[in-house]
Amino acid sequence: MIEAHDLTRRYGDFTAVSGISFSVQEGEILGMLGPNGAGKTTTIRMITGFLPPTSGQVTVDGKDLFESPREARRQLGYLPENVSLYPEMRVDEYLAYRARLEGLSRGEARSAIPLAVERCLLGDVRHQIIGTLSKGFRQRVGLATAILHNPRVLVLDEPTVGLDPKQIISIRELIRELGRQHTLLLSTHILPEVELLCDRVVIIDKGHIVAEGTPQSLRERWTGNPALRVILKDAPAGAAEALAALPGVLRVKDGGPDGSWTLECEPGSDPREEVFRTAASAGWVLLELARQRGATLEDIFVRLTTADTADTAAASEGAHPPGPPAATPADATEEVVS
Amino acid sequence: MNGLLATYRRELRAYFFSPLAYVVLFFFLAVNGFIFVALVGNLNDPGSPGGPPFTFFFNTSWVILLLVTPVLTMRLVSEELRSGSIEVLMTAPVTEGQVIGGKFLAALTFYAFLWFPTVAYAAMISLYEKVSWGPIGAGYLGLLLIGALFLSMGIFSSATTRSQLLAAMMTLAMVLLLYLLDLFGRLVNGDVLKKALDYVNVWGHIDELANGIVDTRRLVFYLSGTLFFLFLASRALEDKKWR
Repeated sequence: MIEAHDLTRRYGDFTAVSGISFSVQEGEILGMLGPNGAGKTTTIRMITGFLPPTSGQVTVDGKDLFESPREARRQLGYLPENVSLYPEMRVDEYLAYRARLEGLSRGEARSAIPLAVERCLLGDVRHQIIGTLSKGFRQRVGLATAILHNPRVLVLDEPTVGLDPKQIISIRELIRELGRQHTLLLSTHILPEVELLCDRVVIIDKGHIVAEGTPQSLRERWTGNPALRVILKDAPAGAAEALAALPGVLRVKDGGPDGSWTLECEPGSDPREEVFRTAASAGWVLLELARQRGATLEDIFVRLTTADTADTAAASEGAHPPGPPAATPADATEEVVS
Repeated sequence: MNGLLATYRRELRAYFFSPLAYVVLFFFLAVNGFIFVALVGNLNDPGSPGGPPFTFFFNTSWVILLLVTPVLTMRLVSEELRSGSIEVLMTAPVTEGQVIGGKFLAALTFYAFLWFPTVAYAAMISLYEKVSWGPIGAGYLGLLLIGALFLSMGIFSSATTRSQLLAAMMTLAMVLLLYLLDLFGRLVNGDVLKKALDYVNVWGHIDELANGIVDTRRLVFYLSGTLFFLFLASRALEDKKWR
């Protein structure tokens, strides 16, 4: 639906986006992930036709955004990062204005406006003046205007930023709902959002794409070998060697002050049963035995966007990372802000 | 066309919903009312030179445009640039020209609305004396033409900056410059320059029109000037994207 080819944008000497190419397939939800200042909004603005790229090309539904901007824009619904509405207008007046602006006929508007109001749950505030609405409601008005002309593609730039947790949940539900009927490009720096909503992810840093794939494939590629965490009471001598000799175990690392060991295992192997039997037959007291959680998208994100240029270059070529990622105890509901 | 119509309706509504419009209307009518009363009072004096009162009225009252046009236009584009609503506006399937055109027509409509009550002055005079409606119509045409040019300058200023204050000052400077060209014209020596300045002398134009002379050169001057500044305004808006 959207093809971005070799997009570059410079502001004076500063290159905000450099040679980004990606595509959004019909029906999918693509997440664009990156720390603040990575070039997400610039990229989004080039895709919606607000900013012309310094070089490169964008097509929406096969129509070039700069050769036939009107046809291309008709297929786009856009929710910018800062939703600015006209504060003196009422919600339904504003929607009527937007419908005219999008070129809907009177009859089309008559059916499109109530539908947008209903889908974005704006029924209670439709006669209210926009200036008096809360940020969450304004965001929904913005979404309603984005879907008003029933575009095939929706582009949402950080749709949940600045909302309270309850509003975030309701906007996310709304986005998921919209994703069933529209192709969606979603930019965010909030990782759980991507895990929850997106079919595919593009990670951007310093104006480059550093990784691309499904959340699942990214996790698999960056997780490294599976690992087990083992604690034996009093850390009996010879135990480390015995564990290292178990089938499927590659090596044993001394784990730190709590006397734990980390068993790095072959991919696909699960030697937990052998660990238990070995401990039981030797009379060791097994205090703890746990599989270590693989890398979260958060770990990958942090690694990719904090690594130096050489690392990221290697990463984008799909090189395997050296060793398992730092297993930060990341709460899946936590935000990562660069 | 949709874009132009949608913008026009929204901007016109914005004028009538903002307190600013009513403040402008109030002072506009207060000043014009004063001019009218003073005119009639003086013309009643047997010692006054006399003449058709509406010629005098048009010759004086239009000076208030110096204040009115910057105030009416400063908001039009600057506010959208500042608030960021320009982003959703320009990603809709509309062109810069349509947006500028719609805003201009809304400003012109409101401007005409400001002058409308002054038609009552002519009606009042017609109760006591025979008035010739031709020159009055020509005078209003002159006000509309001059207003259109000044408003287009105002929209251009507004499209160049996100600061409403700066936009108002730019418009004020441009309009003031046009006013002062008359003064300058009296000082210069040399036929060619004098003729050129005559061509752009707004004071002369309104005097002509208020006396019922509709010269096509004036129509061409104001219409082409207006279109020129509207063109510049839409270019300025487009230019905002490239930075």
